[in-house]
Amino acid sequence: MQPERIALLSVVALPFLGAALAPLVYRVVGERTAYFAAAVAAACLCLVAFVADAVGTGGTTFVVSWIPSYGVSLAFYVDGLSLLIGGLASGVGVLVFTYSGGYMHGEPGQAKYYATLLAFMGSMLGVALAADLIALFVFWELTSVSSFLLIGHYQDAEASQYAARKSMLITVAGGLFMLVGFLLLHVVATGAPGVDSAFRLAGEGSILANAGPMVDALRAQGLFVPVLLLVGVGAATKSAQIPFHIWLPNAMEAPTPVSAFLHSATMVKAGVYLVGRFRPLLVGDEWTLVFGLLGLATMTVTAVLAVGASDIKELLAYSTASHLGLIVAGYGMSNYIGAETGAFHILNHALFKAALFLVAGIVAHEAGTRAIDDLGGLAEDLPITAGVTVVASLGMAGVPPFNGFYSKEFLFHAVYYTAEHAVADGGSLLWWALPAVAVFGSVFTFLYSIRFLMLFFGDKPDALGEVHSPPVAMWLPAAVLGALALVVGLGGVTGTFGVHLTPVEDFVGAVMASSLGHGGGEHSFSYYLPTEVTPWLIMSAVTIGVGAVTYPFFDRVRDGVRAVRAVDYLRPNWYYDGITEGLDRSSAIDVLQTGNLRTYAAALALALAALTLGGYAAGGVTVPAIAYAGLEPALVVVLGVAIVAALAVTAAPSHIAGVLTLSILGFMVAIFYILGSAPDLALTQLVIETLVLVIFLLVLDKLPAFYGTVDRLRAARDAVVAGAVGLTVAVTVLLSTAGTPNDVIAQYFVANGPVPAEHDPIFANAGGGGNIVNVILVDFRAFDTLGEISVVAMAALSVVTLIAMRERGEIQ
Amino acid sequence: MTQEREPTVIARTVVRLVVPLILMTALALLFQGHNLPGGGFIAGVLTVTAFALVYIIFGLDYLETELLDRDPSTRYETEAGIVREYGTVFSLGLAVAVGSGIAAVALGYPFLTQAVVFVEPLPIYGYLEVASALAFDLGVYAVVVGALLTILAEVGAE
Repeated sequence: MQPERIALLSVVALPFLGAALAPLVYRVVGERTAYFAAAVAAACLCLVAFVADAVGTGGTTFVVSWIPSYGVSLAFYVDGLSLLIGGLASGVGVLVFTYSGGYMHGEPGQAKYYATLLAFMGSMLGVALAADLIALFVFWELTSVSSFLLIGHYQDAEASQYAARKSMLITVAGGLFMLVGFLLLHVVATGAPGVDSAFRLAGEGSILANAGPMVDALRAQGLFVPVLLLVGVGAATKSAQIPFHIWLPNAMEAPTPVSAFLHSATMVKAGVYLVGRFRPLLVGDEWTLVFGLLGLATMTVTAVLAVGASDIKELLAYSTASHLGLIVAGYGMSNYIGAETGAFHILNHALFKAALFLVAGIVAHEAGTRAIDDLGGLAEDLPITAGVTVVASLGMAGVPPFNGFYSKEFLFHAVYYTAEHAVADGGSLLWWALPAVAVFGSVFTFLYSIRFLMLFFGDKPDALGEVHSPPVAMWLPAAVLGALALVVGLGGVTGTFGVHLTPVEDFVGAVMASSLGHGGGEHSFSYYLPTEVTPWLIMSAVTIGVGAVTYPFFDRVRDGVRAVRAVDYLRPNWYYDGITEGLDRSSAIDVLQTGNLRTYAAALALALAALTLGGYAAGGVTVPAIAYAGLEPALVVVLGVAIVAALAVTAAPSHIAGVLTLSILGFMVAIFYILGSAPDLALTQLVIETLVLVIFLLVLDKLPAFYGTVDRLRAARDAVVAGAVGLTVAVTVLLSTAGTPNDVIAQYFVANGPVPAEHDPIFANAGGGGNIVNVILVDFRAFDTLGEISVVAMAALSVVTLIAMRERGEIQ
Repeated sequence: MTQEREPTVIARTVVRLVVPLILMTALALLFQGHNLPGGGFIAGVLTVTAFALVYIIFGLDYLETELLDRDPSTRYETEAGIVREYGTVFSLGLAVAVGSGIAAVALGYPFLTQAVVFVEPLPIYGYLEVASALAFDLGVYAVVVGALLTILAEVGAE
């Protein structure tokens, strides 16, 4: 294997391995597990860098076989976009783990915390690198699951539970839409010319490599718009686009490092990544309509909501949704400047927003409150943090020469360009609304960014007590991110004078190329301060100007926003809560979730019967006739007794009678086995039957001696369930015994089971036992047996956990 | 069953006689399993049945107070106790079963390959067939015994 291949596989495998080891490491080193996790993340970052260096950003595929019979593979694809997301996940990961070492000091459940966070990092790296639709979906859902666990970290807090459930419902539901989209894509790709493996998303012979034929095939089958919308729903739920943005502010219940990592730099970027990844395939007029409008609307609405926020993390959450909207809007524009916007802003946003989240964590930790109104004048006590905030929040506001300015400028350019060309091509004048909305939303972005910045300046409220200095582990990561954001910003200044920050420009250019596809033409990427007056420069100037003029009236704007926000019908949250609470109250819960084992057992049994019988019906199988002739009289007697016993069970008046008659049935079956020359089965059946009887006798004490009067309706219902299950089993037995596939396996067992006629003193090529059943169990099928005894051991552990530990609560 | 009602003398005497016989039969089934009806699973369940008889007739604490001469502690919650020991039994069993598979890997065969050795000549028996599968079967036996006794003791203690 090439070293790159090993390195790439380790990038995805290492975090999961680290997650598995985290509880053990925690036992040994305690809270310093943070630095173990940071080391894992650093190793991943180095490996990502190594792979990037070794194979470049041209697009290289590594394939590991996974489910070859379905053409599903663990394929990984390395290009600019995947390296960016992967680099962010591991790079921000290093900083966040280090920061956690300070922030999580003395918090409960740290082993779980680090294990989940590492698993999340692995899933995110998987999302970034996966080149197979199924693998991508699996990693995608893994990020949702780990996010659920992390948001619900404070598992006793009601708000955490609500937030975790909400994010899970929304993102997983969106993921399922995406899965349907992927499957449609797979169906279309199966017949498309040039596509070798229909689940392969990127790389040679893949869906993206044959975008042209794929689009033709999609359009021919009328599936282009459905696929676009389904993938769009997946991306929108994950990236908190309206109206699915509501989970993100609640997700701030998570510990702040989690918010900084998942809900600013990485997980929410998964949706944006999806948009960027599918852009070469699906870009077109519909694309601009869906993603351009979605992005701009999200950007504006959530920026307005951020102004109305009262908590610094809430402000940052809405702002994150807003910036994700900006990225989506950028990708939504079908010109190459749109791709520039998306690519560059993913990087910029991750840098300044992760820094700001870490700042918010420092403020909450050291000042003891997150309420915006209670904070002010923090620069005096937290000078380094204030410096980071200046760089990061001015970048967020889009003020030159900080990093966010350039990508926002690209957005204005892209939107203006789109509107200009659309109108020039005879489109409606409404297109000009795009740049207007972009500017309108950006004004609010400016407002809340400055509000956040002003937490550090002005007068310090008297109520605010002493503010401590944060530990190194907390301020250093924030400072690193701030410094990186500053470097990217200054790169634009030097770029104006011809000294470009080549590594960043080349890399962003490669990221952009991933979203341009093959038909996008060649574009090199560079950024610098504007040197001439352009419409988009005027748009930036208007944004900053209007923002600066409005800022003195910030409180009035905020109150206005809050008044609008208070209207129920305008709040997606109101609909969400209405639906979930409505479901909670509805009678469906009483019928489906009775808390009685028998209800669930009946549902399971009926579903199994329905699926099996439905499968037979769909497959059109014919039930073979039963040959009664040749049945021995002894067999008939035994089976007759068994049937009588079965009927007697249903009529038994008490548990004791029921159990005893049931064991008559069991013993009859044992005799049946003896008559059928299966002594091992008979022995097992006898012994098990005895043991079950004994266990039943132990339990019987706890149950009422007699059954109550039986409700006719319930008896009828139970009879239907029992009948359906019986029918299913009977049909299955008939069908499976009727099939005689040449007896190959049985003959093999018979030939190889016993001791061969001629043999060495030691041999391993035959079973060497006279009892073929036992030889099968311990030799030919030993792996199955190993699985079965593992299940037995697991069952014992479960019983111990359920019974003995139920009153002990969680073991810390 | 309930502790208030003393089992009859007949039941106690029969159990005293029968339990050793059951245990012997179980061991016989375990060792003859390769060539005659039997095997680890059946032997394990049979052994548990013997224990179950003791539990029902003499009560849950009998094993520990009378046979092991120590304070009874049938619940898992106590740090030491017979349920913990049952837990050790099935853990060890699982380890033996897996270990017998790994031994094959160490010798260069696929996982869980079994071999047979004929030891001869021996007095009385003439020859003895030793199957490596016996180690695996011992693992199965231990898992079944340990796990079922854990369940039995826990449920019984309820």
